[in-house]
Amino acid sequence: MLADSGRNIESATALLRELVAGYPERADLAPQIRDLEHHGDRIAHDIIARLSTRGGARTPGLEQLGILARTLDDIVDYAEETADIMGLYRIEAPMEQAEELAGMLEQAGHAVARALRNLDGGHELDEALIEIHRLENEGDRVSRAALADLFAGGIDPMVVIRWKDVFESLEQGIDACESVAHLLEGAQLRAGR
Amino acid sequence: MRLVTAKAPLRLALIDGDTGFVGVVGKRFEGMGWQHRVIDGPVPAGELAAMRLNALVIDPETLGTGAWDFLEAACAALPELGVLVCTARSTVAQRVRGLRLGADDWIAKPCHAEELVARIEAVVRRRQRSASSTDAEPLRFGELEIRPDRFQAYVSGQSAELTRREFELLRLLADTPGLVLEREHVYERVWGYAMAHGDRSVDVFIRKVRQKVERLSPGWRYVHTHFGIGYRFQPESLDHDAGEEENGPVAPTEREPVGGIEVAVSDGAAVSTKSAGHPAPARQPAEHRARAGSRA
Repeated sequence: MLADSGRNIESATALLRELVAGYPERADLAPQIRDLEHHGDRIAHDIIARLSTRGGARTPGLEQLGILARTLDDIVDYAEETADIMGLYRIEAPMEQAEELAGMLEQAGHAVARALRNLDGGHELDEALIEIHRLENEGDRVSRAALADLFAGGIDPMVVIRWKDVFESLEQGIDACESVAHLLEGAQLRAGR
Repeated sequence: MRLVTAKAPLRLALIDGDTGFVGVVGKRFEGMGWQHRVIDGPVPAGELAAMRLNALVIDPETLGTGAWDFLEAACAALPELGVLVCTARSTVAQRVRGLRLGADDWIAKPCHAEELVARIEAVVRRRQRSASSTDAEPLRFGELEIRPDRFQAYVSGQSAELTRREFELLRLLADTPGLVLEREHVYERVWGYAMAHGDRSVDVFIRKVRQKVERLSPGWRYVHTHFGIGYRFQPESLDHDAGEEENGPVAPTEREPVGGIEVAVSDGAAVSTKSAGHPAPARQPAEHRARAGSRA
């Protein structure tokens, strides 16, 4: 089921990148991302329900799995939130920094899915986890620079409000990928890998 | 350049350091549904142009010794802008000088907010009348007819169904055929604000305009891309320019500063980084000059 969640993340983040880069023509992808968000909710719910039947709430290892399921769901939630904000705020055209951040979220989504597949197969996770940390650092840098650019003089305050929220939502998506990486690192330590 | 309709809210700026006065009249402007901003010092004419104002109210006391120079420069660079001077102490000589430099009206403080509103309306009304008699004339380029009076473009009588913003973008480019306009300049003039770094609004709206216009007029290219710089309006028939078009898109141009205006010359196009006033005439090959549009 974790691998299923990874595939869902890959699909949602790839669609989001396509939506952001092709906005407003590709705004039609938003409903597909919303469907994936609902699918992600169901996966997280199923994982937590299974853990509950095994007494997961009180078992440390299983409890961490529950947190992992919810954090994986967060990634898709932020992807969906970004697509939703762009529609709600009636954004007219993309910004290069948003395209860059959406690209990073997609790459981080791939790395998360790869790590989950490797976890299932008992393979090495380090390469994917390092990639996620690198993307998170890069995302922080791009996001801060993008916010600073918004506060240059003379820019329409509506543009500032709209894009600040979009940049933050994208950054939170990337941060959620890093949270997954932290949880997987914890799992590795507990497993003594 | 811009037509102001009755539906559009009035946009004005106050250059005034008297916070009490600004507060009172500002509330009145808001009550009228007008958009206003307060400026506490001289602003380059380019920035004023980007604000797309209908009227500017100036208190020379706020500007100090440079007030007259600023007034003269603003009135000369923005002939379509209504300019009112509203100040406390003045002599007859100062009032005459201000009006001769281009101010449309002079009001003595203290004045009632209602009187200021009425005088602004009168100045803007006069400006609109004179603007509508000159700017509403159709522009014709190749098969394309741009109708400022309808905020629309047509090909053989068929509407391109441009939105207001798409029309303003096309109109801005078509006002200076042959001249490359930088993205930032286009954004300032059409959106009325500075362009945020990385904003692709201009590219997206150019794409929309191209799609709509070239759908109706597939044998012509009107808007050309100058990669990394901006866009140029130049009607070119694809039949006549087949050989020229085979060479691909216009190459990126080299810039050289000429008299404070950056001019790039590649295929006969000039780049303007000016934000206000009338751009320098473009250098065009004879064949392009012959095809360039004319006011009907």
